Amino acid sequence: MATARQLELADLTEGKKANVSFSITEQQMRQFAELSGDFNPLHTDAAFAQAKGNPGPVVYGALLIAKVSQLIGMELPGRDGVWASLSLDFKRPLFVGQPAEVEGTVTSVHPATGLVELGIVLRSQGKVLAKGKAEVVLG
Amino acid sequence: MNTEQHYAKLTQVFHDVFDDESIVVHPQLTADDVDEWDSLTHIRLVIAVEKAFGLKFSAAEVERLRNVGDLVALIDSRATH
Repeated sequence: MATARQLELADLTEGKKANVSFSITEQQMRQFAELSGDFNPLHTDAAFAQAKGNPGPVVYGALLIAKVSQLIGMELPGRDGVWASLSLDFKRPLFVGQPAEVEGTVTSVHPATGLVELGIVLRSQGKVLAKGKAEVVLG
Repeated sequence: MNTEQHYAKLTQVFHDVFDDESIVVHPQLTADDVDEWDSLTHIRLVIAVEKAFGLKFSAAEVERLRNVGDLVALIDSRATH
């Protein structure tokens, strides 16, 4: 099992970045459908997704959020951070097997309370998939 | 700005943060008295107070606060120095 980083408040200066590269597999899509109960054919039926103008099933937005969770829980700040909020705008779809990355950038640090704000961007092949911000409390 | 004016300004901050205009801000008020006053809202409150009064608190100062009276005393001490 991977080990979470242990960044402290002093390590989290404005502009500090971390990222996680990933691609979503067909198996992960099936597992998420079972977990969530979301069997919408846009995500589960290639023919349906293609009829809607996509090259294949569209990756669940929640799986992109799952990678934000990995970024925050494992990398920035890692073990001692508690996720307090997330807002994310989805711009473009991601497709199964397509390489992607999620990047977090520290945008502000509030020493008195331990609140850290992160800018979040998900990209694939140079294009933005989703963009937003997250708040993490370091304790 | 005197203590009375600080309470008036703080009342506005509380109403904004908790989205509740019925909250009466007084020296003995604590998190136990306001349903929505949890640990995360406390953080948002501290940040909103700093912004409203143009101050920056230290972690030690925030940890020492026991009630609104302590918070206003802290604001007063900063405003007069």
